[in-house]
Amino acid sequence: MSQDQNQDQKFDGQPDPGRRKFLNTAAFAGLAGAGLSVGLSACKQEQAPAAAPAGAAPADAAPAHVGKYEVAPGQLDTYYSFSSGGHSGDVRIYGLPSGRQLKSIPVFNMDCMVGWGITNESKAIIGTKPDGSVKYKTGDTHHVHPSYTDGTYDGKYLWVNDKIHGRLARVRLDTMECDKITELPNVQGFHGTFPDKRDPVDPAINHTTRVFCGTEFSIPLPNDGHGLDDVAAYRSVFSCVDAESMEVRWQVLIDGNCDLVASSYDGKLACTNQYNVEMGVHYEETMASEWDACLFFNIARIEEAVKAGKVTYIGGSKVPVVDGLRASNADPKTALTCYVPIPKNPHGVNISPDGKYYACSGKLSPTATVISHEQVLKWFDGGVKEARECVVAEPEIGLGPLHTGFDNKGNAYTTLFLDSQIVKWNVEAAIKAYQGDKTATPVVDRIDVHYQPGHGFTSMGETKEADGKYFISDNKFSKDRFLPVGPLHPETAQMIDISGDKMMLVADHSVLSEPHDSIVIRRDIIKTRQVYTLDEFPNAVKDPKESGVFREGKKVTVKLTSQAPAYSLREFRVKKGDEVTIILTNHDKIEDLTHGFAIPKHDINFAVSPQETKSVTFIADKPGVYWCYCTHFCHALHLEMRSRMIVEA
Amino acid sequence: MKFPVVFRSILLSLALVLPASVALADAYEANLPDELGTSPRMCDYVPCAEVLPGATSFSERKGQPPYVEGYAEENGQKRKIGYVMLSTDITDTPAYSGKPVVTLIGMDTAGRFTGVKVLKHSEPILLLGIPESALIGFNQQYLGKFVGDNIEIGQSRPEENLIGLDAISGATVTVIAQNQVMMTSGTNIARQVGILKPTLREPAKFIETGVKPDWAKLVNEGSVQRLVVTPEQVGLPRSGKPFIDLWFGYLNQPDVGRTVLGDGPWRSLMSRLKEGEHALFVIRTGGIESFKGSGFVRGGIYDRVQVRQGADSFTFRDLDAVNLYGLEAAGAPAFNESSIFIVRSKAFSAAYPWKFVFLGNRVDRATGTRSFVNFDSEYWLPEIYLEGGRPEVIKPDAPWVRVWKARAIEIGLFAALLVAVGTLYGFRDRLTRRASRTNKWPVNIFKYSAWLISIGFVGFGLLAQPSITQVLTWFHALLFQWTWELFLTDPFIFLFWIFIIVTVFIWGRGLFCGWLCPFGSLSELLYKVGGAVGLKRFQFQLSRKWHDRLKWVKYGVFFGLLAVSFFSMGLAEKLAEIEPFKTTFLVGMFNRSWPYTLFAAGLLGLSIFTERPFCKYLCPLGASLAMPSTFRWFGLERKQECSNCKACAVGCGSQAIDANGRIDHRECLHCLDCMVLYTDCHACPPLSQERKRRTKAGLPLTPIGADGYYIPIKPVSAAKAQAA
Repeated sequence: MSQDQNQDQKFDGQPDPGRRKFLNTAAFAGLAGAGLSVGLSACKQEQAPAAAPAGAAPADAAPAHVGKYEVAPGQLDTYYSFSSGGHSGDVRIYGLPSGRQLKSIPVFNMDCMVGWGITNESKAIIGTKPDGSVKYKTGDTHHVHPSYTDGTYDGKYLWVNDKIHGRLARVRLDTMECDKITELPNVQGFHGTFPDKRDPVDPAINHTTRVFCGTEFSIPLPNDGHGLDDVAAYRSVFSCVDAESMEVRWQVLIDGNCDLVASSYDGKLACTNQYNVEMGVHYEETMASEWDACLFFNIARIEEAVKAGKVTYIGGSKVPVVDGLRASNADPKTALTCYVPIPKNPHGVNISPDGKYYACSGKLSPTATVISHEQVLKWFDGGVKEARECVVAEPEIGLGPLHTGFDNKGNAYTTLFLDSQIVKWNVEAAIKAYQGDKTATPVVDRIDVHYQPGHGFTSMGETKEADGKYFISDNKFSKDRFLPVGPLHPETAQMIDISGDKMMLVADHSVLSEPHDSIVIRRDIIKTRQVYTLDEFPNAVKDPKESGVFREGKKVTVKLTSQAPAYSLREFRVKKGDEVTIILTNHDKIEDLTHGFAIPKHDINFAVSPQETKSVTFIADKPGVYWCYCTHFCHALHLEMRSRMIVEA
Repeated sequence: MKFPVVFRSILLSLALVLPASVALADAYEANLPDELGTSPRMCDYVPCAEVLPGATSFSERKGQPPYVEGYAEENGQKRKIGYVMLSTDITDTPAYSGKPVVTLIGMDTAGRFTGVKVLKHSEPILLLGIPESALIGFNQQYLGKFVGDNIEIGQSRPEENLIGLDAISGATVTVIAQNQVMMTSGTNIARQVGILKPTLREPAKFIETGVKPDWAKLVNEGSVQRLVVTPEQVGLPRSGKPFIDLWFGYLNQPDVGRTVLGDGPWRSLMSRLKEGEHALFVIRTGGIESFKGSGFVRGGIYDRVQVRQGADSFTFRDLDAVNLYGLEAAGAPAFNESSIFIVRSKAFSAAYPWKFVFLGNRVDRATGTRSFVNFDSEYWLPEIYLEGGRPEVIKPDAPWVRVWKARAIEIGLFAALLVAVGTLYGFRDRLTRRASRTNKWPVNIFKYSAWLISIGFVGFGLLAQPSITQVLTWFHALLFQWTWELFLTDPFIFLFWIFIIVTVFIWGRGLFCGWLCPFGSLSELLYKVGGAVGLKRFQFQLSRKWHDRLKWVKYGVFFGLLAVSFFSMGLAEKLAEIEPFKTTFLVGMFNRSWPYTLFAAGLLGLSIFTERPFCKYLCPLGASLAMPSTFRWFGLERKQECSNCKACAVGCGSQAIDANGRIDHRECLHCLDCMVLYTDCHACPPLSQERKRRTKAGLPLTPIGADGYYIPIKPVSAAKAQAA
């Protein structure tokens, strides 16, 4: 197993044909959980080691190349990378190429730094139980996708899913804060999501107005305790959420499940890959069939059906549900859905920047399936006999293909989970090869990554402005790539320069567990606010003179302002048992002059940025003196910035 | 013989008086606390209350340029009653000395001046001669006047809405500078605090051509400008590297903006801007200083850069700055600091020129004190990008231009005088040939006229008496910083010096000294009048021996002053009182303390009895001009016989003809007496001899040639005559 062999294989661009066949179910029994590496060891031995140890980095990652990707002091990154935080529940912002983490936006998680889940405003967004406490404290973000105008990002919003509780959150990109969270009805395992890029009918609407959401786990509908063991009746729905109001517009009842979601550039279609057309409840059942599907939705027809009232309602939900089952959509000319057969448990569906093709990564099939957008539209017009005829290419690219990114030169880059590689393949060459051209060689290049890449994505690759500069490989295992920090490892986001003919691995960026999807946006697209304005908060304490303690029975409101290095009240008095609401407006106008507010023993901390207002409500249940203090460094007299909360017995 | 003693006693009394007068001038080169330039609590160091009567407390310095607010206590409540500003925080306009007059200015909330206090000046004229109280009196004129009014030195012209101020005669440069300081400071702060409304300018309408020039073209067409500050400009040691090297440009114009930023970033930037907002970029390509500093981090204000358009200045706070992500223009230089600044004001228009200003501190290398100084570079969007091209801009004239315009007639007359005298002298041969030993009027009529005009018109009228202090100032200006404006502010002296420099190198210093120097003319006129009124028998000349010794004294005086000036310009200026010019013309005999009057009167009195004693033995200005006179192009003519014939030497008032008959052009004052003799066949001995010889021999008396001899008689051969 020499380095040379490994290199040879990489350069010839042709994988070992001996192994390039559909893998049978048994071979993948070990895929689940921790058995993965053992299960795959047999396959791996036929090949060179996935990568040399970190100490003997391959020549193409030599430091000479790497230096130019550093960002010198005083210089700025050229891209933003927005990444999901996985079961951390947040969204992260990184700068690229440096890989420096700039911010974590709390969304479904609790964050005591800014007070997310602590302040009244954040609780109202997250949702509360009748007692006022936060409804869910956990979340699992996978997919982040920003809003579009004219086929590229407009820097307005970003949506992110919560797989655990089936919620969709929206982040404002001007403040980089979550402003709305919607809980989807009739859904479990909400995984893939994607905004549309324009309206399918109205040409004037050339921007995002809908967000599509897939459901991975089928459940009894309604999931109210009936039919618990009637597994065959478990179903999934595909949802559409209004981008502005964040209300659920409609849902489609489907056969099989939804994994990831893509939307077309012309607004006409949305699609989701299905790895469980079998609707099995155990993993071996999900692998039973050699064929799964990529499911297309005809948005215009669905909305006509909703308009025509051809809908049902599930349980107490007011969301109209249309029928997208196979049986009900046999006639393409009226069909709302089109099930395009795809080999074995595909993962990830991505549309090429030219809007012409969808690439479905095979996962358990060593292939990527290329579906023609034009053909699918034709199918809906009755011009194509079999849905499978929408497939225009199916190159073999390696083991465990998961996600595909695109450059601006017609190449696709697919993560190979099992091979621990990124494979670069040419879409047109793949189509030629599929048409029988023996001279066409779809695979152009391969590169080892460390280790087991999950998501992969290119700079601006999900827009028509794909620029072919970088590919980021979000690897699921970091193993020996960083200083050891105990049994729980960070993940590796590896950066690959794809601007040349050969891919070049140029940086290992550590990321906290566990990002799934990310997007890489050109910096000029993002336009952030520098400070807030007082007026955008209805409860703002607009003048320090309004400060004071206002009592209505047991309910006490404390109005406070902050201006470095002091709060407007040096002390305030409440009585034991009072329900205290503190409203704090930061009157500082200087950019970056954020204050904190912590109350000992009452589990309160939050931060207010310049001109921002936040409030917290709690029961003052312990008599005594409590030094409220500024937790966010603000001034030379930061330590002196305090106020006494005096709780009288 | 005893006259040197007289001089000595006069000098002695002068020296005794000097320290006393220095003590009286309390703002002259006053020591100001170092903290004054930098401390936020400015009023802890200077008497702010004196210029804002009624104020009991003051804020810290605020704004850019800075000022303080003054408050009065009323019923326990603080009420803002006005503003106090330090002139050097706002402008570094130099006065006569080349240094600013540090002035503390008070202004009420309605924009009326409430007080003016000179904290420090370096004006030599105010040190000796004009009392400092004159400047104080001048400044009093501002009290109660509105800062927005058009206030100028000179006559009020109600029809032009112009309020005139009385100048201080003899110190016009100082007061012109002071007026500029007052108005610049006052309007600047008045605009900052909103007393004066910003000028509304018609917004630019851009032409979008779609071209994408490269960086070199942008620079070439002026769409991108550069601002370089060198270390020596801020008082640091000279070095090959700039202190800061900045490039900047206007981004709203689509062609320029797209080229510089690239399409995407430009669109993104423009989408941030509201109407009336303007973006410009700044990059630093070299230097050791940052244009951002760190003041904006805590205070939110960028205190090192500014944009100025006309009288409006625009500062930037942190919210007006966005990141510059990169320059897309081909060939753009690498940079290590950058920003996009946004001007948010309807007063700004890209159709008109504006300036990008780097605000710095200059450290005086001698004293270590810091003073405010700014550097700017003008920007005017090329007309190809502006619909209708660049609008016509009437720029207010620079102060020196206004002076030239205001005194155009006098300047014209004066220039005519200079040209006339120069021309006349150029044709001196024709005059001297017409004159003879017995009748010198053909020359003297012009010379005496020149004297009278220079005494009356030039000296007492225009106060245009050149002085050694100007020579010293130039020496320093040449070595340190040459500013034309400073010299142009006094047009007569300026023209006079052009005349002097030109004529010194053509003919020697005598034309100025002998014909046009007001004091010299006065001095010799007195001598002539004295002789004419019967004092001739008391008139005398020093013996050749003493003359030849004492004539060197003036060189000693000159070099002494020059040497002193390198240690202390102030002291040199004081010692330059050896020139009685200030007493005689600028200030007036009767406006000075008695030692000065006595000195000047003594010299003039002496002049009645001996010709030009001051010019011959003391005048440092004459000495400084005598030296370059060595290199004149045209001297006065001599003949071979002059080496042993002393006929002219006897009559030479300047005693410039030595024992060998040579004219010393360093001493010669171009009275032209010897030149009259030169062609006078009755007076010039060799000519007279020849005349007699020819008359005796019956030879014709041919005309006298340029060499001062009769044109020789050469027999012409018959053949040649026929051929001719």
